[in-house]
Amino acid sequence: MTKKKAAPVVVHKKGYLRKKIWQYRWIYLLGLPGLTILVLFNYIPMSGLLMAFQDYNPYKGLLGSEWVGLKHFDKLFNDAKFYRMLKNTIIINLLEMLTFPAPIILALLLNELRSTKLKKVIQTSVYLPHFLSWAIVVSLTFFLLSSEQGIVNKIAVSMGGTPTKYLQSKDWIYPIITIQSLWKGVGWSSIVYLAAIAGVDQELYEAAKIDGANKLQQMLKITIPSIMPTVVVMLIMKMGSIISVGFEQIFLMTNANVKSMLEVFEVYIYQNGVASGFPNYSYTTAIGMFKSVVSTGLVLLTNWLTTRKGYSGVM
Amino acid sequence: MSKDRKKMGMKAKQNLYQFILGFFLLLLAGTMVLPFVYVLMVSFTDGSVYESGKFILWPEKWSTEAYELILSGKGFLNSLKSTLLITGIGTPMNVVFNAGLGYMLSKPIPGRKFFNKMVMFTMLFGAGLIPNFINIRNLGLMDSIFASILPGVCGAWTVMVMRSFFEGIPSELEEAAKIDGCGQLRIFATIVLPLSKAMLATFTLFAAVSYWNTYFSAIMYMTTTEKMPLQVYVQKIVLSTNISDVVDLTTELANTVPQEVMRMAAVIVVTLPIIIVYPFLQKHFATGMMVGAVKG
Repeated sequence: MTKKKAAPVVVHKKGYLRKKIWQYRWIYLLGLPGLTILVLFNYIPMSGLLMAFQDYNPYKGLLGSEWVGLKHFDKLFNDAKFYRMLKNTIIINLLEMLTFPAPIILALLLNELRSTKLKKVIQTSVYLPHFLSWAIVVSLTFFLLSSEQGIVNKIAVSMGGTPTKYLQSKDWIYPIITIQSLWKGVGWSSIVYLAAIAGVDQELYEAAKIDGANKLQQMLKITIPSIMPTVVVMLIMKMGSIISVGFEQIFLMTNANVKSMLEVFEVYIYQNGVASGFPNYSYTTAIGMFKSVVSTGLVLLTNWLTTRKGYSGVM
Repeated sequence: MSKDRKKMGMKAKQNLYQFILGFFLLLLAGTMVLPFVYVLMVSFTDGSVYESGKFILWPEKWSTEAYELILSGKGFLNSLKSTLLITGIGTPMNVVFNAGLGYMLSKPIPGRKFFNKMVMFTMLFGAGLIPNFINIRNLGLMDSIFASILPGVCGAWTVMVMRSFFEGIPSELEEAAKIDGCGQLRIFATIVLPLSKAMLATFTLFAAVSYWNTYFSAIMYMTTTEKMPLQVYVQKIVLSTNISDVVDLTTELANTVPQEVMRMAAVIVVTLPIIIVYPFLQKHFATGMMVGAVKG
């Protein structure tokens, strides 16, 4: 009895679904190229993570290579170089973290500016560096700071000083790359906050003005709390990249004198997995996998923590 | 009267505040623009003036020799060809693929949740450098410009922004067209796309800039030196101690122009297209579009 009753429902549902899919067939077709790309270049490579548990041999392929369990991870966690790379990466990121408030401050200041013309000129200028490649940004850095031709040293020498080798200096390299990132990103990152500020309910300011609140109080008591959700989202995203650095920037800024301070995972993986004559695919994949898993974990953790605090998070 | 004076005092204070604020922000903007102005000026400076060691804010003697050398070198022309191909093929593909997928996810289709998750997950987790490298090799894309094009053709962030944009288009418009007997593809092409012109223009320019700036994928996947894109070329010129090899002149007249001037000319040449399209791009930034993306 129950069988008889259930059967038509299932059939109906199946037919209904099929009809609905058929009805949207052209819509699916529109999305298909994009989905294909994601499968080809994002999902299929994930199977390559298995290499981390093998002694991968490109001639034998993923199926023919020997399985070695956690050998590469064992080696990784006992490698002094690994901890050096981790340390460098975290230092670079912590320094960058110090600049996290900069775009928020820039947005708040831009918002205070009354002249729209001036605002536009400033915005146009500060967004520009975002669109330059690292190759260009590093080139500009060289033009400014190189020891013989750089303008900073030329000015120093003309004023009777001696040239400083900024780019080869262990004291200068971290400040330089931090400032580079700030220079390139501060304007662009401020857009998100500007948009958030624009979305704040104007009636709140009116009410505050009637209560006699001054500009600073309005900023502290209305604007900043209102854009906190955006700040939190940006912070979560930032957490995801705390053990990553930009390959192009670090790779291009590296020279023999500062090499030990710019040893990071990305460059190591590239040099030993791609550019090397004897690539160690499995070991470098293990490093990459460690990075991906920790990043994802950190995003999920931060997201969980902030949703518990009452913010909406990213997911 | 005292009230009036107080008001005037307030106004003066306000103006002073605005003045200081504007001055500070202009200073900041200056740091973003001045390096370029300096490089531009030096790149047009005559070699003899540069060698004399003065720092240049306005060339005493102009010269376009550095540009003539760069632009006539084989190195530049080869790289330009690669970059133009990558940008020319990649940009339209990128916009079409992202818009298609974004539109699909904006519709109440069966499996929408699954496909949404599938796109979002690529933002959260990546396979990493080496699996991607092996994948490109398995696909037979090594040493092909398509290795620099295809992986960037569909990106989760762009898809999500486009999705929320399409969701904002009033459904009545599409319903009306449906009643008139328009097919789904026609609705997309004749109603949805024209309404999204500004958004599509923005993403076209984003895609074009990012393809123009191709560097990393080229050094990963490109093996023929001649096919390296412009960013690799400019970086080689800046780092190399003997740049006439990189410039690869057909005629021999180098050495009259200082290497540093040549380097700066190369940087300007490679950046110029971005500076030119930039004002068109900039128009669309401040819209709320970006926030929608961040809030997911």
